[in-house]
Amino acid sequence: MLEITGLSAGYGEALVLRDVSCRIAKGQVTALMGRNGMGKTTLLKTIMGLIRAQSGRINFDGASIETRPTHLISRAGIGYVPQGREIFDDFTVRDNLRLSLMGHDAATALPFDKIYGWFPILKERETQRAGTFSGGQQQILAIARALIAGPKLLLLDEPTEGIQPSIVQEIGLQLAKIARETGLSILVVEQNVEMVRILADQVMFMENGAIRESCDIATLRRDDALLHRYLSV
Amino acid sequence: MSELLPVFLDVTSYVLILVLVALGLMIVFGMMGVINMAHGELFMIGAFVMVAAQGAGLPFLAGLVLAPLVVGFLGLLIETALIRHIYHRPLDTILATWGLSIALKQLIVLSFGPESQSVTLPLDGTLTLGAFSYPLYRLVLMAVSAVLIGGTFWLFIRTDFGLMARAVIARPTTAATLGIDTRRMYRWSFVIGTALAGLAGALVAPIISVDPQMGLGYLVPGFLSILVGGAGALAGVLVGGAVVGGVGNLLAVWISPVAALITVYILAILIIRLKPEGILGGRRAK
Repeated sequence: MLEITGLSAGYGEALVLRDVSCRIAKGQVTALMGRNGMGKTTLLKTIMGLIRAQSGRINFDGASIETRPTHLISRAGIGYVPQGREIFDDFTVRDNLRLSLMGHDAATALPFDKIYGWFPILKERETQRAGTFSGGQQQILAIARALIAGPKLLLLDEPTEGIQPSIVQEIGLQLAKIARETGLSILVVEQNVEMVRILADQVMFMENGAIRESCDIATLRRDDALLHRYLSV
Repeated sequence: MSELLPVFLDVTSYVLILVLVALGLMIVFGMMGVINMAHGELFMIGAFVMVAAQGAGLPFLAGLVLAPLVVGFLGLLIETALIRHIYHRPLDTILATWGLSIALKQLIVLSFGPESQSVTLPLDGTLTLGAFSYPLYRLVLMAVSAVLIGGTFWLFIRTDFGLMARAVIARPTTAATLGIDTRRMYRWSFVIGTALAGLAGALVAPIISVDPQMGLGYLVPGFLSILVGGAGALAGVLVGGAVVGGVGNLLAVWISPVAALITVYILAILIIRLKPEGILGGRRAK
C-alpha cells in the first residue's frame, strides 16, 4: 500500500527527516509515536506533498507520488486529518463534507448516510456552523471530511490533542471499527497511549527524524520498555 | 425632488460601476494576496475593446460580449506569465503589476493614440416622467451592473465553485489536501476578476471619456472602497463603494470636485483609523 524508502525532507536547509524507510500494509493501522520535534508531523506532511521530499521515494498503490502536487496525492486515495483539525469554521457541517466530495472522483466517494451512520452527531448538526462545535466534535468532522472521499489510506495527526478523554475513546473505537469494516489503512501520529492501544495493530517509534524501531501492539501491551525509551522526557 | 433624483441616479450608477471594478480587485486580493495595480488598465482595455468593436461596425451588444472575453483572455495570459509566480507576496505583486499597468497603457497609446475616444450611445432616448427626465442608457447601465454584482455574489456564495473558492481563501493548504486544485481556483478567479473589469469598462464607455489614462480614476477609489469596507467579506465592497463613491460624487456636485476628493480621503483616513479592518471587518486570522 504505502512504501517509503530513504526519505529525507525538511524546511529549507534544515533536514527533519533523515533516511526514513517504512511500509504500511493494506488494512493495517499503524501508530507513529515519539517525542515532540522528532519529525512525525513532517513525515505526514511530506507524504501529502505539503513539504517536498529532498531525496527518497514514496510509493502508494504501486505509483511514486513524491513529486505530485497535494491535490493529486489526495485524489490518489490518501485522506489527511491535520493537527489542529482545520475545519472550515464558517461553513456548515454539510458544506465541510461537500467540499471534500468536490475535490474527488465520485466513484470512490461514500454516501452521506454512511458517514452519518458512523458519526450520528454530524447528522443531527448537519446545518450548524462548524465553528460552533467543541474540539471533539470538530475532530469528528475533520475525520468524516477525510473519510467521505473514500480514501484507501488515512493519515491522522494527533487526533486526541486537546480533546476530552471520553471522546478520545469514542473516536478510537469508531476508527478501529471503520478500519475493520472497510479495509482502510491508517497511519496515526499519536502521543496518547490509550488511543494507540485501542486503535493500532503496529507501532513505529521515531527519534531524530528516523524510524528507530517498530513492533506489533501485542508486544507493546506485554512490555512498555519501548514506551519509556521513546516517549519519556 | 425632480432636481435631486437625477443626482441620486448619477451617484448610484457611478457607485455600481465602482463596485464592479472593486469586486474584481477584491476577489484577486482576498484569494491570492495579489494587489493588482493593473486592474484599472484592464478596465480601460474593456472600454477600448468597445471602441474597436464600434470602429469595426459591430453592434454595441457585440462589444459587450467581446470586452469580457478579450480582457478575460488577457487576464489568463497575465496570470500564466506573471501572477502565478508571485502569489502571496503582496509587495512584489504591487511592483510587477504596476510595471504591467504602464506597459498596457503604452500599448493602447501605440495602437489608438493618446487622445480620448468616443463611443456612441446605443440608446439615446430619455425616460420622461412628468418633470423628471433621465437618459435611458444610464438606467440600463445601472440595471445591468446590479445584475452583474448580484451574479458575482451568487457565484461566490451559492455555487460549488464559490464554496471551493471560499475554502481556498480561508485555508489553502487544507483545501488542497481535500483534493481541490488550488492553482486552478486561483487562475479562474483571476480571470473572472479581470473579465468583470473589462465588462465594466465596456459598459461605461459611452458615458465617459475613453482614454489610456482612465484606469487610475477607478483603481484608486476601487482600492479605497476595499480598505473602507473591509477585505473580509465580499459585501465589504458594497459598503465601501457606497461610502467612497457616494460621498465623493454627491460632494462633487454640491460643492466642487476638489473638495469632494479631500473629504473622501479625510473620511477614509478617519474610518481606517477608527476601524483598521474596515467597516465590515477584515480577513480572519488563519
